[in-house]
Amino acid sequence: MIRLENVSKMYGNETLAVRDASFDVAKGDFVFLVGPSGSGKSTLLRLINRQERPERGSVYVAGRDINELPNSQIPYLRRTMGNVFQDYKLLPNKTVFENVAFALEVIGKPKHVIGQQVPAVLDLVGLAGKEDRFPHQLSGGEQQRVSIARAFVNRPMILLADEPTGNLDPATGEGIMGLLEAINQMGTTVVMATHDHRVVNQMRRRVIQLDRGVIVRDQERGVYE
Amino acid sequence: MIQRISYALRETLANFRRNVTLSVAAVITSAVSLLLVGTTFLIQRSFDNLLVQWKGDVGMIVFVRPDVQPDALAFIEQTLKSQPNLIDVSKLKYLDKSASYEEAKRVFAGDPTTLSLLSVDTVPTQFKVVPKTTDPELVRNLSTQFRGLPGVSGVALAEDEFEVISTLSGFVRTVTIGMSLVLLAVAVILIWNTIRTAIFARRREIEVMKLVGATDWFIRVPFILEGLVQGVLGAIVSCGGLWALNSAWTNGISKFKSGTGVTSLVVPDGYANGVMISLLVIGALAGGIGSGVASSKFLDV
Repeated sequence: MIRLENVSKMYGNETLAVRDASFDVAKGDFVFLVGPSGSGKSTLLRLINRQERPERGSVYVAGRDINELPNSQIPYLRRTMGNVFQDYKLLPNKTVFENVAFALEVIGKPKHVIGQQVPAVLDLVGLAGKEDRFPHQLSGGEQQRVSIARAFVNRPMILLADEPTGNLDPATGEGIMGLLEAINQMGTTVVMATHDHRVVNQMRRRVIQLDRGVIVRDQERGVYE
Repeated sequence: MIQRISYALRETLANFRRNVTLSVAAVITSAVSLLLVGTTFLIQRSFDNLLVQWKGDVGMIVFVRPDVQPDALAFIEQTLKSQPNLIDVSKLKYLDKSASYEEAKRVFAGDPTTLSLLSVDTVPTQFKVVPKTTDPELVRNLSTQFRGLPGVSGVALAEDEFEVISTLSGFVRTVTIGMSLVLLAVAVILIWNTIRTAIFARRREIEVMKLVGATDWFIRVPFILEGLVQGVLGAIVSCGGLWALNSAWTNGISKFKSGTGVTSLVVPDGYANGVMISLLVIGALAGGIGSGVASSKFLDV
């Protein structure tokens, strides 16, 4: 589903954010990218959704080299991926329903589809009944659920999560992880960047560890070391 | 499709509301600059009317002293008719005292002092000459020749009037075109800045749109539309202003008597309407260019 071949990404002229990274994520996998801040986790995610382009190497998504895609095709690539962030990136002037519907609206989905899919996904993330709340009326965990609903409402093949539990207390974080696992079990490939030891150790999934831009460990059923 | 159009329109309206002051400033600036552009067109047209009237009409007027002897007058006429190569003899017209006085009353309608000095007995009579040649030098030579004839009090050349008017019109044109171009540039920059501000205000939304896979055009269209609307609104206001100006102008001129040349300054409605349509097009272009440049510059991934 996702394959990186000898990918290097530089910031500025000297700093190597990612050095010669190669890995392969199969369809339906759940992968943790771990490592301290600045080790290149977020950059890897940004390389996969093509917010960044590598200086060297290739990134394949669903068999296509995404850096060969013309700019006009990038929106369609992104429709196959959902993105979840540490800071949720919800729109404060829109309700829960509107925030999720927005993702379908801007890719031109008709109203009746939005009317079906949004309530269904809100139900899935456990926010049924809170459709008309605004983000500031929700707890951090609930806001992250809205963000996950928005990322998943279009049933993407891939979900990219950047420190989704970073702003949450452990119990709430656990709830979010349960949700991501459920989404993964529905067939969506999940790549999650985190430095949350507890979450990684509890889940026992594949772990790719980064240190200053270099992959130092790639282990099935790994723990955070 | 309908849903996309309604989305774009809704967003355009929302942007406009969010940014009322800047939007209004952009609209007013484009209105003022377009009004100036339109006024330039109309002034130009007025001058052209005047010039055209002169051109189609008389090229030279030979004024004859009021106390001229009949044989001297006959000699002048003979001399004029002896130049069939230079003068269109069939159109040669002599205005006698009463006719000349009637004309003087109209020419000097706005100038009662001069008129009061004239009477049927003191007014110069005149030969209206339509030159055949298009060479202004030949006509000028001819006028010198007639100035020397006994009984001739003076010769007026339309060419001299042309020169004053066309110099004046050229000057006015340069100034107004220059000013309107500067103002038009200001309008484009203001629209550009309004759109830039609108994009900045919505950068979070745009980031989310990009991540969920909205196409660049989908994101851009509401912003471009917003600039377009500002340009067109400005154009509509300027059309209103131009209409009011032209009505006032036409009204003012209608107070002059006909035949004085001033009436030819009236701009026909058809032409004014054409100018207004051009203003709408220019306004739309200015708005579209300003917002198009801003949205492609500031929306890049």
